Amino acid sequence: MAITAVNGQEDLMAVYRLGYQRYQGPVAGRWARLKVIPRFAWRRLFQQRLTVLLIVIALIWPLLCAAFVYLANNAELLKGFGKQFQSFVEVNGDFFMAFMKVQAVFAVFLAALAGPGLIAPDLANNALPLYFSRPLTRSDYALSKLAVLFGMLSLITWVPGLFLFGMQAAMAGREWFWANWRLGAGMVLGFILWILLLSLAAMAGSAYARMKAVAGGFVLGFFFILGGVSELINGIFRVTWGHALNPAWASHRIWCAMLRVDPAAGPGVPACISMLFVIMFLLALVIERKVRPVEVIS
Amino acid sequence: MTEPTVIFEEVSKFYGEVLGVNRITLRIPPGITSLAGPNGSGKTTLMNLMTGLIHPDHGSISMRGISSRDPERLMHITGYATQYDAAPRWATGFSFITTGLLLFGYRRPEAEEKAWKALETLGLAEAAHRKMASYSKGMRQRVGLAQAIAHEPELLVLDEPLNGLDPLVRAETIVLFRFWAAQGKHVILSSHVLQEVDAISDRVILIANGMIVAEGKIRDVREEIQERPSKFIVRCREASRVAALLFSEDFITEIRLNEDRQGLLVLAKDRERFSRSIRRIALDGHEIDSVIPADESVDALYEYLIGEGK
Repeated sequence: MAITAVNGQEDLMAVYRLGYQRYQGPVAGRWARLKVIPRFAWRRLFQQRLTVLLIVIALIWPLLCAAFVYLANNAELLKGFGKQFQSFVEVNGDFFMAFMKVQAVFAVFLAALAGPGLIAPDLANNALPLYFSRPLTRSDYALSKLAVLFGMLSLITWVPGLFLFGMQAAMAGREWFWANWRLGAGMVLGFILWILLLSLAAMAGSAYARMKAVAGGFVLGFFFILGGVSELINGIFRVTWGHALNPAWASHRIWCAMLRVDPAAGPGVPACISMLFVIMFLLALVIERKVRPVEVIS
Repeated sequence: MTEPTVIFEEVSKFYGEVLGVNRITLRIPPGITSLAGPNGSGKTTLMNLMTGLIHPDHGSISMRGISSRDPERLMHITGYATQYDAAPRWATGFSFITTGLLLFGYRRPEAEEKAWKALETLGLAEAAHRKMASYSKGMRQRVGLAQAIAHEPELLVLDEPLNGLDPLVRAETIVLFRFWAAQGKHVILSSHVLQEVDAISDRVILIANGMIVAEGKIRDVREEIQERPSKFIVRCREASRVAALLFSEDFITEIRLNEDRQGLLVLAKDRERFSRSIRRIALDGHEIDSVIPADESVDALYEYLIGEGK
């Protein structure tokens, strides 16, 4: 070790020199500090082959969609096809809905893969006191972990979606943009809602289960079980409002309204939004209860 | 100038109906202070209260003038090493410490410089860029200490910091504690190894069942336990003669002669009068080799104050 005993007299009691001066230089602000945890987590996630592979596979569909946009904007290429096909090749609400549905499924799998490693290891290793013995609050910690998933899921959802929208706007011209800007805004907002829901589910699973495998199962089970329950209610009571309990269905219903696509029969947008907020609130509550620096004995 | 102090004023903490600590009032000056007590006595609760990880249900805590409810300021002056091995195994020691410093708001070059300094101080420079999965238990323990000291805090709270360290590293770490204390910092640690607490500490806080049983310098605490006679080991040539002389005093309660007849274990109710008597015996020409207090140790205090209550 580099340090030797004070004055070479190891057996003496400490003699206070009181000459110590701590660092007085500038330090980064709260928001800059909050970026540290996501950066650390992303570096770790991108070292995992499975995560990278899933992201690459998830970007195949956006590439095909980009080809579709290119085709739709090149009338010469469509000349050889029939009128029915030509009317099919159109970039509209249905196109973005099809794009969103596929990417939303990939987002679920990515959340199930990346989400469990967010909080579970910190809880299992008693690492939360380490975080909270820095200038970091519980909400800062939760926000940082949310940002990890938000960033990851954005890569395969609204970011390629916005690219497609921009590509279409660039190729179709200003008129198309002004007539359809709601599609772009709806797609981004719809994905943000989906990402929030997924991230909260993944974080709650990670905080509750502590074991990564179980937490991953929780994310998948969250959608399948609630979907099953909603179908059960609809079947037993011969109603359609049970769909509101299915977060995937409720999100889809909101997307339909945003993209102006005909929705399936079932509860309206206000009911779906309310239900999603209730579910998100409950998930946030689980996180709030579990993310504590010290285990509280009850 | 008043020295910065850790102050607990009537602090109580309950976990539901379970007592954490109750009505704790403390004033801890800079230096090395050890918390000693049985498992579940409230040592870690006290440390968590100091670091603001939990808040008291009653009372207030001031850490060198900063409230424990002000984490933004408190954490900049506090370094906490928990009893858990919480460092991620897949990270290198250097990246772990650097990331911790970035969370404090240091810019990367400063964070890296400080991380390097902390790792060097703990003798981990060579292993700095190795994944922590390959570290031994002692090395991981030192990483825990390194992350606590890396931002150069004024107040170190260390929960069982010597666990898992081999004797050589233990000795080096104790030297390090003394070095920090000599700079005017607070080094507050908990330990089960009472001999170590004895050797390290400027003062001890004995805690049992969530309450402070004794607090202060070990000798001062011992002197206050008047219902238990003080024990002394006296080494001398004429042990039987010295024993006879001592027995004439009314404050002597018991004397045991050692098998080699050159040593005595003396139990005295009054330390001052015993000191005067033994001096007088020596001045009268009886050869006294040494007089050593046998129960001025945390071990003895622990036994008197906590052991008997159990």
